[in-house]
Amino acid sequence: MAKIKQDSKPVRLGPLVAKIIFMSLLAAGLGYMMFVAFLAGENLIGGVLALVLIASFVVYSSKGLVPLKFLLPGIVLLAIFVVTPILYTVLMSGFVYKTGNEISREEALTQIYETGYVPDESFTAFYMTLGSYEGEVSALLTDQMTMTPYLGANGVATELGADQVQLDEYGTAVGFEGFEPIGFDEAATLEAEIIDLRFDMGEGKFIRPESLDAALLMIQAFTLDGASGELYDSVNDITYVDNGEGNFVNKANPEEKLFPGWRAFSPLENYVGLLTDPVIRGPFVNVFIWTFSFALITVATMFAAGLALAIAMDKPLRFKRFYKSILILPYAIPSFMSILIWNGMFNRDFGAVNQVLGQEIDWYNDATLAKLVIIIVNLWLGFPYFYLISSGALQALPGELEEAASIDGASPAQIMARIKLPLLLQILSPLLIASFAFNFNNFNIVYLLTNGGPINVLAGETAGATDILITYAYKTAFGSAEQNLGLASAISVIMFFIVGGLSLWSLRRSKVLESVI
Amino acid sequence: MKRTNIRSAAWRHIYAWALILFSIFPIYVVIISSFDPAGGLASSTLLPQRFSWVNYETLFTSPTIPFMTWIWNSSYLAALNAILSIVVGAFSAFAFSRLRFKGRKTGLQTLLLIQVFPAFLALAAIYVMMERIYTIFPAIGLGSHGGLLLIYLGGSMGVNAWLLKGFIDSIPMELDEAAKIDGATPFQIFWQIFVPLSAPVLAVTALLSFIGTFNEFVLASLFLQDVNLRTVAVGLQSFVGAQFGANWGPFAAGSILASVPLVALFLFAQRYIIGGLVSGSVKG
Repeated sequence: MAKIKQDSKPVRLGPLVAKIIFMSLLAAGLGYMMFVAFLAGENLIGGVLALVLIASFVVYSSKGLVPLKFLLPGIVLLAIFVVTPILYTVLMSGFVYKTGNEISREEALTQIYETGYVPDESFTAFYMTLGSYEGEVSALLTDQMTMTPYLGANGVATELGADQVQLDEYGTAVGFEGFEPIGFDEAATLEAEIIDLRFDMGEGKFIRPESLDAALLMIQAFTLDGASGELYDSVNDITYVDNGEGNFVNKANPEEKLFPGWRAFSPLENYVGLLTDPVIRGPFVNVFIWTFSFALITVATMFAAGLALAIAMDKPLRFKRFYKSILILPYAIPSFMSILIWNGMFNRDFGAVNQVLGQEIDWYNDATLAKLVIIIVNLWLGFPYFYLISSGALQALPGELEEAASIDGASPAQIMARIKLPLLLQILSPLLIASFAFNFNNFNIVYLLTNGGPINVLAGETAGATDILITYAYKTAFGSAEQNLGLASAISVIMFFIVGGLSLWSLRRSKVLESVI
Repeated sequence: MKRTNIRSAAWRHIYAWALILFSIFPIYVVIISSFDPAGGLASSTLLPQRFSWVNYETLFTSPTIPFMTWIWNSSYLAALNAILSIVVGAFSAFAFSRLRFKGRKTGLQTLLLIQVFPAFLALAAIYVMMERIYTIFPAIGLGSHGGLLLIYLGGSMGVNAWLLKGFIDSIPMELDEAAKIDGATPFQIFWQIFVPLSAPVLAVTALLSFIGTFNEFVLASLFLQDVNLRTVAVGLQSFVGAQFGANWGPFAAGSILASVPLVALFLFAQRYIIGGLVSGSVKG
């Protein structure tokens, strides 16, 4: 057989030009972003962009690597926007990361030092003459006690000899070679700049302007002992120690914290809190139990209603098409909209539900009723889906089964209960598990309907009666009182395990993973 | 025998009617409310008494409710996400289905596992990550449509790739073998054979993706603080959630306006969507 010769294939110009344009745009876009990222000091983001840029060049300019040409965009998207957040969640769950502990240790120390500047013990003060020296805002300073003159310029205070400066009648230094005094009016316009002036005196001391003609010698009250890691407050004579949870605390009284704190790496802290700290564990356990019960009950009710409908409509029936087109409506309406509509309809005073019932039931203020509302509304949203899949599965069952059973004398009810139902359950079990996993994380139904309530905030409750894990994590992370991103991440990690385990189990059962071809 | 048949048929009709009443109850209420000029939940009644278009007018004219902007935001975000995630997903699906390479099976299994995690589970991490991106690239960081779209894309691409792979697997191998002999490159096979053949499937997958994104609430509410950038889900929730009583009428009108196109789309593509449902994608 003759070998097909492909080498002489003519090069088509169109695709080549398109490829060059595409590559240039990609290089320009990514390259620019990379540049901006590195310039802003975000080396991680810059590095990722560089990696993407290099990878796309290697993949798209080579002749081979055909599979990667198709896969690269998907890989990049999944890696950056799905896998990274998941891994980052795991990482964050190992940190004390909440309101008051949001910044890095260095930033926290800087801020603590900011609060630690105090005048020295003898309240050394200086007369100050503002001016400019070498083009910078500077000051001539004279110690009010010793009358020693200093030049404060470029962030440093330099002691001057008495013969180098011109003095006024009170002995205050007012002139120096190269120093151009400025008047009060001009100084007033530079006020913002002057407030920020610091002239270093060495040994942690510096001179800071207090007004336009006076300055104080400041010292740092805090000293950090590099070896022991202890922070000593020399003014109040308190020793602070790192408590390992992102705060310096008083050595004598560990409850007394120094603010701000920082994100401290403490891998098990959040998980231990969830299991042992009664303040966190209490609501968490309740939420956990309700999440499971909600997912189970809601799937069971939706499936029961949908299946019953499928069975009812399985026989030839008058108006069947008409019924079907109406019964599918709840499924077709955007669900967030339906939930908001139902929310208004369960309103105690004016809601349509109470009007129909002729009652004044306060649906949202009672834990059991609020849960019932969620189950009912989710039933409304979900039964059409279960009707559709059940009737699809019913029709897929082989007709011979029914024939054989009825020849053997089984009643239609028996055929349904003993033959069709078990088969249906088997066919639909992956979808039932998927629906369980979906409702396990059904943020919309809870958040938009009851917002997790009822909740007694005054009693210090952090989770409402209808909060499920995902809404609880959302409130934990972005609540109004305290934002605890570390704890929220720990809850997310637990949800990852549950959802992942459930899906893995389902995939194993249906042998999808093994049958991947 | 005849009698039991009638009785059983009666039960079937009664059950169907019970569910029909349940189904149309909120739809009925919302239609009535949308035409009630009083506008508040307080004045709403079960039987229509007045009729006016004033709630609809409010939606289009009120400066505090940029309803049309919200609808536009939702629509274009959902459409862009649907199209882009289908394109990227189809590329991946084609590679997994038709090309043979090392690590293919592992790649597929990884994809299958990753796509079971809904994106919003990692919400705290996404927030911190996008906040950081915002400091250098405001257009794709927190608070922007660009950033939200990227997160949506990452989340829906895996599912779509998985759905499409199932379909491409069912296209006979002989087709691309013939094309290969004719000297077609893999990209030509993809573009000239698979895309036209899978057009209906691509459309339905895109539609499902569109509906999914249109309904998305968590990430959108996390991302979009600016009133004019909100999606219709976040916007309606924010304006109706605060004071149900006062805004009920305009809300009812808005929900009808926003629902009608989607319901029409859904009913139009019903047959295909239901096929897709049974093969594994879940909503509800």
